[in-house]
Amino acid sequence: MKEDGSTGCKIRKFVMFAILISLPWYLIYVIGYSIEESDHAINDTIKVRFNQDKKPSIVDHSKFEILKQEFTNPMEVTEACVSCHNKRHTEVMQTSHWNWSRDLVRPNGDTVKIGKENVINNFCITTQSNRWKCTSCHVGYGWSEMEFDFKDYKKVDCLVCHDTTGAYEKEPFGSGFPIKEKKAFTNKTYFPPNYSYIAKNVGKSKVENCGKCHFYGGGGDNVKHGDLSSDLYHPDKEMDVHMDETGTNMSCVDCHQTERHNITGKLYSVSNDDGNRVTCEKCHTGKVHKNNTLNRHINRIACQTCHIPTYAKGKATKMIWDWSTAGKLDSEGKKYKEYDSLHNVTYKSDKGTYVWETNVEPEYVWFNGTADQYIPGDVIEDTTQVVQINTLFGSHNDKNSKIIPVKVHRGKQIFDPVNKTLIVPHIYGHDSTAYHHGLNWNLSAKVGMKEAGLPYSGKYSFISTEMYWPLNHMVSPVEQSLKCIDCHSKNSKLKNLKGFYIPGRDNNNFLDILGIFMIMGTFIGVMIHAVIRFFKAKHIIN
Amino acid sequence: MQEFKTIGKVIRAEKELTKRAYIYKAFERFWHWSQALLIMFLVITGFEIHSSYQLLGYERAILYHDIAAWSLLILIIFAIFWHFATGAWKQYIPTMKLVKEQANYYIFGIFKGAPHPTKKTSYNKFNPLQRLTYFGFKVFIIPVQVISGFLYMYYMYPENPIHFIGFDITALIHTFGAFMLLAFLIAHLYLLTTGESPKASFAAMLFGWEEVSVTPDEEHRDHMQIAVDNSIAGYYRLDENGLFLDVNDAWMKLYKCTDKNNVLNMKCTIARKDKDKDELLKTVEKVLKGESFRGIYSERKCFDGTTGNHILSMNPTYENDKITGVEGFIIDITDIHRVEEQMFHSVRNSEAGYYRLNTKGYYEEVNAAWLKMYKCVDKENVIGKHYSLSRQEKDLKEADEIFKTVLSGKTISSKIVTRRCKDGTTAKQVLSANPVYDCDNIIGVEGFIIDLPGLEVEE
Repeated sequence: MKEDGSTGCKIRKFVMFAILISLPWYLIYVIGYSIEESDHAINDTIKVRFNQDKKPSIVDHSKFEILKQEFTNPMEVTEACVSCHNKRHTEVMQTSHWNWSRDLVRPNGDTVKIGKENVINNFCITTQSNRWKCTSCHVGYGWSEMEFDFKDYKKVDCLVCHDTTGAYEKEPFGSGFPIKEKKAFTNKTYFPPNYSYIAKNVGKSKVENCGKCHFYGGGGDNVKHGDLSSDLYHPDKEMDVHMDETGTNMSCVDCHQTERHNITGKLYSVSNDDGNRVTCEKCHTGKVHKNNTLNRHINRIACQTCHIPTYAKGKATKMIWDWSTAGKLDSEGKKYKEYDSLHNVTYKSDKGTYVWETNVEPEYVWFNGTADQYIPGDVIEDTTQVVQINTLFGSHNDKNSKIIPVKVHRGKQIFDPVNKTLIVPHIYGHDSTAYHHGLNWNLSAKVGMKEAGLPYSGKYSFISTEMYWPLNHMVSPVEQSLKCIDCHSKNSKLKNLKGFYIPGRDNNNFLDILGIFMIMGTFIGVMIHAVIRFFKAKHIIN
Repeated sequence: MQEFKTIGKVIRAEKELTKRAYIYKAFERFWHWSQALLIMFLVITGFEIHSSYQLLGYERAILYHDIAAWSLLILIIFAIFWHFATGAWKQYIPTMKLVKEQANYYIFGIFKGAPHPTKKTSYNKFNPLQRLTYFGFKVFIIPVQVISGFLYMYYMYPENPIHFIGFDITALIHTFGAFMLLAFLIAHLYLLTTGESPKASFAAMLFGWEEVSVTPDEEHRDHMQIAVDNSIAGYYRLDENGLFLDVNDAWMKLYKCTDKNNVLNMKCTIARKDKDKDELLKTVEKVLKGESFRGIYSERKCFDGTTGNHILSMNPTYENDKITGVEGFIIDITDIHRVEEQMFHSVRNSEAGYYRLNTKGYYEEVNAAWLKMYKCVDKENVIGKHYSLSRQEKDLKEADEIFKTVLSGKTISSKIVTRRCKDGTTAKQVLSANPVYDCDNIIGVEGFIIDLPGLEVEE
């Protein structure tokens, strides 16, 4: 200890040395802290390439002479629109909002028409044979039969998208027409629209225009999507960070940007190709997280995966629809309904059993932007398996694939066990063959299949089906997004995605046991060595 | 050398011949502890990432694991540079020499209280097993962890440019390396306790100083080097033809030479008067045959034509057991006129005696040569005693003055003093003394003594 000098000097030296040693750690802490902090304060620093058009419309439609007339039906309004906005109707008539189908190439190479017009789902099953009900959400008037004139521009419904008054409404069972005379449906009364007032106040589409149909898919609020519900009319930040009324207050078309009536965005229940999509990256460009480890995740993890931790945050969404239980009658031989504690219908004689859920945790799948749909007539190879109504393609081996969150809607629906096809049933109608009225599956199937032009063996059964709904809306505030540990742990949210290594989720048991043995072995080894040394040393001293 | 060894043996019988040496340089210690802390931190955060437990939170664990990994990489780059720049990498060259003995010691010898088979010296800090282990650590575990770690960090997805093994394999290799590191850590900490003094080894890693075994050769080289550095002795080295290869500043000063180029590659005889040249050449020849001279009185011819007197040592330099030249030291004795007549009295022992006093004048350290001159067998009889012990009463005033002068920061060289040996006899010696510094404070006095046996007779 002599060379080191006095105790005081030694302490000084030690302190200096300790400072020297701790300096890099201070640096490590500062770097780490700044990265952590800036990610938490991301709202202040976020760079978004988005300019919301908040300017008022440059045109006052109420000044136009042609709109000052008294309209008696909506087609006259359309003609008035087209008289100025000539050719705009041709744009609308090219979209799937109008056609309900488009030419798409299936994975087997066939080019077929795919769309609402012909695909099957596991909610109300098909629009075929049920048109007059389903087309209440068609941007046209009068599509009730097979032979609808898709070339008649007068049938284009301009108002459903451009009404800004909220006074315009289509009839629920009116083939796309608004109501003609005051009429009550269930617990709501519908009035004929005041076309003159509405026409003088047309403008850019608002949330209400889109929501009118898209929030009520499947016949009720939030039934189908799970991430699109009437909660988005007046959402707070918790509900949707983008549409937050007190904050960004974005509307649907701010993201679903539209050019010449082609609205970007699509859903993989009715389309299968990777095009015309809306992406987060359109606005959220560049280094979206300060933490590069998070940024590297973007290659294989969709934004939605972490930022939509739950869906159906307000209104419940339908998770299961079991048609096989339909047809039961109460003691008086009448159709009846059952409700759960939140007044969601859980059983309906003419519909079957429903299961509703709120704040649902999504399921996760690999997805590369392409999909396939079950199209009526497709033969089910293996009827013991759950039928995939739509298949999202992708895998960890495919570098275009990302993990996305989905709502999986599970159902049990009617199928033909002889032809091994799903059945297009006639559900809605005034006639008794409509299952809705007659509660007779055989008749319903016969009529439905005939209208679809498909063979029906006369035998029916029920089969389990799954339908995948990618979740894109109701993005949660950043604090609520998934944490690393949600996936990187033994209890990973991604535990169903197999075949690749996720740190924290996966390990090699053999290696871990080997490692633990190695460490325990070393430890026990030195302990034994130490004990022998201790006793031998005693022995030597003695 | 023979006598020295005898004394060495005597001392060794009671206590290992050791000295305190600065064996871990500041950077080395910084590197060791930073690396140790970083590795421990990486192990802690790493096993959290492996889902072995929850501590910092997964995101934070990854974030800090990555930053620590970058820090370690930078540290390793600096360390590699340092090891090559200083030549310290040689410490890690594995050797099979004594590996068996060392292993035997850990397996059997340690239980019987057997001595360590290898000695820790400042030139050889690690025992053969340590060398092997640290070598493996540096060229195997660390590179595997660094490479697999950075692949783990950046090779996440198939589209990344670095793509040669699967992500899972990378992760598994990295995990295995972590287990190896942990095992190393346990063994490393335990083996610390098998050293001569675990506490001292630990302190050495903190402060750099440790008691290390001394070989007489090393001691000689070391202390003479200090003597050289302190400008007390002039150093020279000749090649096998008697041409100057190197001289130090002190040599130049003594020879009143201003340009080193005037000396280098000149025949050694330029340093002598004509009449002494033959004598010198003969001596050089003898040295080249393997003889050593430790105290030749010489008269030098300086470059400005004046002359001076010094005591000269000469010994052969070896390279691969072959004599390649001559080297030695000169210590000026120009002021010692009477010595002139005693030129045949060569100094019996040119081993410089080393001593160190603390600020109060108590002996803190003396070396074997010092003990021999003072006819003292046990070092313990000296350490802690006041220097007045080694002086006659009449000389004490002079000694006090020297001590005071040095404590004020001055250096004293070639002062002739009379020592009082342990048995009461006295003898003359040439003394040098210079202050010992620590953190810019003078914390003592140290110096060398060279025996002048001829003067002892005079007295």
